[in-house]
Amino acid sequence: MSPVLSIEGLEAGYGALQVLFGVSIDIEAGEIVALMGSNGAGKTTTLRAVTGQLRPTAGRVLLDGDDVTGRAAEDLVRRGMVLVPEGRGMLRSLTVEENLQLGAWVVDDRSAIAAAYEQAYDIFPVLAERRRQIAGTLSGGQQQMLALARALMSSPRLLLVDEASLGLSPVMTETAFDLLRRINAEAGAAVLLVEQHVAALELASRAFVLEKGRIVDVAEGAAVAEMEERLKVAYLGDGA
Amino acid sequence: MAELVTGLSAGAAYALVAVGIVLIFKGTRALSFAQGEIGAFGLFIGLRWSDRGVPGFGWHLPLLMTLFVAVAVGALLGFVVERLVMRRLVHRPPLDGVIATLGIALFLALLEKQWFGAATQFAPSPVGSWRVRVFGATLTAPRVVALLAAAAVAVILYLFFERTRFGLGVRATTDDATVARLLGVPVNQVYRFAWVVGGALAGLAAALLAPAFGGLTPFAQTSFSIRSLAGAVIGGLDSIWGAIIGSLAVGVIETYVKGHSSIGGVDSLAVLVLVIVTLVVRPRGVFGSAGAV
Amino acid sequence: MLSDRRRLFPLGAAVAAVALTGMLSEVRLAVLFSVIVTAIAALGLDLLVARTGELSLAHAAFLGVGAFTAINVGGRGATWGIAVIAAVAVTAAVATVVGLPSLRIRGLQVAIATLAFQDAAEKYLFTREDVTAGDKLLSRPSVLRTDTRLYLLALAALALVLLVRRRVTTTRAGRSFVAVRDIGERARSFGVEPGPTKLLAYALSGAIVGLAGALLATHEGTIGTATDPFRLLESLQLVAIAVVGGAGSATGIVIAAFLVKGLPQLAGGDFLRDWTPIISAGLLVVAVVAQPRGVGGVLRDIVDRALPKRATPSPPVEGVDLASVERPLALRLPVPALLRAHEVSVTYGGLRALDRLTLEVRKGEIVGLIGANGAGKSTFFNAVSGFAPVTGSIRYRDVELLQTRPAGRTALGTARTFQDMGLVRAETVAENLLLAQTWLADYPSALGILGLGSTVRRERELRRRAHAALEIFGLRELAGERLGDLPYGTMRRVEIASAVAAGPDLLLLDEATAGLGPEESHALAGTFLDLRAELGLTLVVIEHHVPVIARVCDYAYCLESGVLIAEGAPVDVTADPAVIASFLGTRP
Repeated sequence: MSPVLSIEGLEAGYGALQVLFGVSIDIEAGEIVALMGSNGAGKTTTLRAVTGQLRPTAGRVLLDGDDVTGRAAEDLVRRGMVLVPEGRGMLRSLTVEENLQLGAWVVDDRSAIAAAYEQAYDIFPVLAERRRQIAGTLSGGQQQMLALARALMSSPRLLLVDEASLGLSPVMTETAFDLLRRINAEAGAAVLLVEQHVAALELASRAFVLEKGRIVDVAEGAAVAEMEERLKVAYLGDGA
Repeated sequence: MAELVTGLSAGAAYALVAVGIVLIFKGTRALSFAQGEIGAFGLFIGLRWSDRGVPGFGWHLPLLMTLFVAVAVGALLGFVVERLVMRRLVHRPPLDGVIATLGIALFLALLEKQWFGAATQFAPSPVGSWRVRVFGATLTAPRVVALLAAAAVAVILYLFFERTRFGLGVRATTDDATVARLLGVPVNQVYRFAWVVGGALAGLAAALLAPAFGGLTPFAQTSFSIRSLAGAVIGGLDSIWGAIIGSLAVGVIETYVKGHSSIGGVDSLAVLVLVIVTLVVRPRGVFGSAGAV
Repeated sequence: MLSDRRRLFPLGAAVAAVALTGMLSEVRLAVLFSVIVTAIAALGLDLLVARTGELSLAHAAFLGVGAFTAINVGGRGATWGIAVIAAVAVTAAVATVVGLPSLRIRGLQVAIATLAFQDAAEKYLFTREDVTAGDKLLSRPSVLRTDTRLYLLALAALALVLLVRRRVTTTRAGRSFVAVRDIGERARSFGVEPGPTKLLAYALSGAIVGLAGALLATHEGTIGTATDPFRLLESLQLVAIAVVGGAGSATGIVIAAFLVKGLPQLAGGDFLRDWTPIISAGLLVVAVVAQPRGVGGVLRDIVDRALPKRATPSPPVEGVDLASVERPLALRLPVPALLRAHEVSVTYGGLRALDRLTLEVRKGEIVGLIGANGAGKSTFFNAVSGFAPVTGSIRYRDVELLQTRPAGRTALGTARTFQDMGLVRAETVAENLLLAQTWLADYPSALGILGLGSTVRRERELRRRAHAALEIFGLRELAGERLGDLPYGTMRRVEIASAVAAGPDLLLLDEATAGLGPEESHALAGTFLDLRAELGLTLVVIEHHVPVIARVCDYAYCLESGVLIAEGAPVDVTADPAVIASFLGTRP
């Protein structure tokens, strides 16, 4: 079965600085894949290159077998791939409901949008209570929820989540990951979870480790949980 | 009181241009110094066609049509400027955008001088020569229309931003263009919208202001776009309401100063003082948000 | 020593310009005269726009101020020389006042203020009879009676302005302007004060335009109401000339001035006269969009290809002791702790970036600062160098830093690098090294322009120090290269070199190995040890790449969300469960 997303030999950087040196990852429909790495490893750069914000210098990105390398995000959203950016990408001056509405920008079918609202408020009752609240005044955890709900509005088949745990307490991070598990189960969306925190390993059926722009470790199934030890070495060095 | 009303009517025309400036600034982060000339250029064409007839048709444009020509040409120029020039400067430092708009203003003004002559072009009112007495002030037709137009624009824009899908898209782009793009909002269309509407408003303002200013002179427009810029700065460069209120304030102060002093040019001096005071005391403007510029 | 063949160009141009007096009629020389006046005004504008990044739309008004001042002063009986000096001084003063808003706000809005000034000058100032002084006459001294002589005077003025520009470029003033333009507030970490620097730029620009105005007045004698040269159109054309000529290139600007003002008049023909300004306006837009470096840039490329530049001989570095920097005795005494931070808190809006951090750095140590994203490490550096709102106490050698201006902290002995590069990419490596030593260039910027002996000596010394610092990092051959053209890792090393050149006691390095591969990181870490051994520096390094910390640090602090969670020897800190949990995101 052809994977939903296939990243092949991706190379990218910023001007003089090359950050990615041939990253290859693939994601099957409906699975949760974790991309782990410490800061500066190139996680966000990978997502940027995949979603057309950064033009890769080499390599390909295939969505359902189609080459979408360098395509604009609008195109990708229509094809069912949505990014939840680092820092959540809140439109701070707009309300919760307006943020959600924008999540459904590419959806033409009115009834589909209405159904999407229902699903969003169902999974995230906190947002239903606050639909007229200005997004900038939400707490970090609530913003995370809004970001995920917004991403769901276009019924994506694949969610790319960039460091959902950033700025969240460990408890809220757990909640966020639970939500992702639920989204994966109920909405059937595959998830590429880009993270620094090991809790992500509990969700994933497969995990990749990124270090200084290269994939240095891969694990599947049961082996994923054992990665924690190896991650420790990757982050803190051998002396630990 | 009479002065207040007269001042407001002058400010209303400035407000039309200022709204365009703020729309462009909010949508694209570029500060346009060219709005005055973009508006004037269309009016020049309209007046020429009214005066000498449309080339090839021999038909003399009725005066009301000059207004529509000004609006249409303004919109067209806005479109061309965005497509050819400003879109390429989106990722550059803001200063580059400003200099580009200055170049465009210079180019248009010199072209006007070349094609339409350097002398002041007589600009009759496109909306008739009736007058209205309000609170002791006698307002000419263009001024009344300017007031009504400014009010209408304010209402229409409000409804547009709050109630329409594209308006929401524009607000999203203003908030965070990168995120808006990620969600699929056609950010390039937003840019185009800002410039086209800005150009149209500039054309409307030119048609309504020129009769009051005694005619249309190349370069005078950049001069009056100073008033609009001042209005936008005072009100807050990223606030449409600020642009309107700021421009009205400029209009009122300008009228008041002109009325109470026989020295030529004191109104320009007053505007200068207003701008400097605003920039020193509250750089963001009365209604602007911090860190916008 | 063979002379650089490139030096022949200005010499040749000067000779040719003078020779023209024998070849052209007075009428044509008068045209060239006005070209030169325009060129000088454009050069003054260029200093402000290109070098300092401040857009002025009032330069035609300034030209008028200069001209009218000369006429007023000269017409009231002062000698011609006094009138000219008055013109220069008054215009400089007016320009400085107009530039005052730039102290509080950035480029865009200052342009609006200058536009408002231009309008007010046109509509009000230049309509007043006491200003335009139509009844007064600025009489030329007898030696300047003919237009030919006037032309030679203009050439002399142009030469003077070019000389001043050169002095500005090669001294502290010019470097400060560029720093303010490109890195803004961060320039403070080098000892540059943005406010006074901008005002100096306005003053200098005004002075140059004032000179042009005085020349104009000398030619006309009296101007009265013929104020066309001082209108908005002229202001915009000056901007066009400065940009099309090529920001920063004097040759380009002179040529552009000639093309816009001279060619149409000299070549004759209505077409040229009417369309040249229009075309130049179009070129302005094209130049901004396509970003070529203007006529000057094109010329420079041609010359570079035809006559490759001989490398300027680098100054000898033997005997340069980077560590020996003049400091008051109190700042050189031995102390137990070089840096003492006590209960330091930084709050941005509602967010606590640092929460009552207390740490200590001892002389001769290499201290590591680690922590996950958002831990507050760079915030701490910002607190020390003065770029964050701080409560608490940070004492450097027992001097309370929080009561010292950021620009002054470098003088005390601290220096830092930035996570995203705090140098000017548009300038050469050597220029950046000199910029970093601004606090050592302790002559007032304005005097530096005059080229007095002491400033020349000081500049030479700074150049030697710069090369000595580059030597440590093996970067000497790159001294003349544009920083932005270099590979990322090299740029980072240049930044460290520049911090070292400033002669600090305490060096703060923010993510110095970011973007470097493993071998480069390893090598750089070794350089840290060298810096301590040979220059006696104390270092604090922020690192994400923890193995570097383990290799070189004597002591390490680990932060999480603004709070200190562990400290000690690196081997202990990296084994600390709380630290591991912080990095992995588990609960300890």
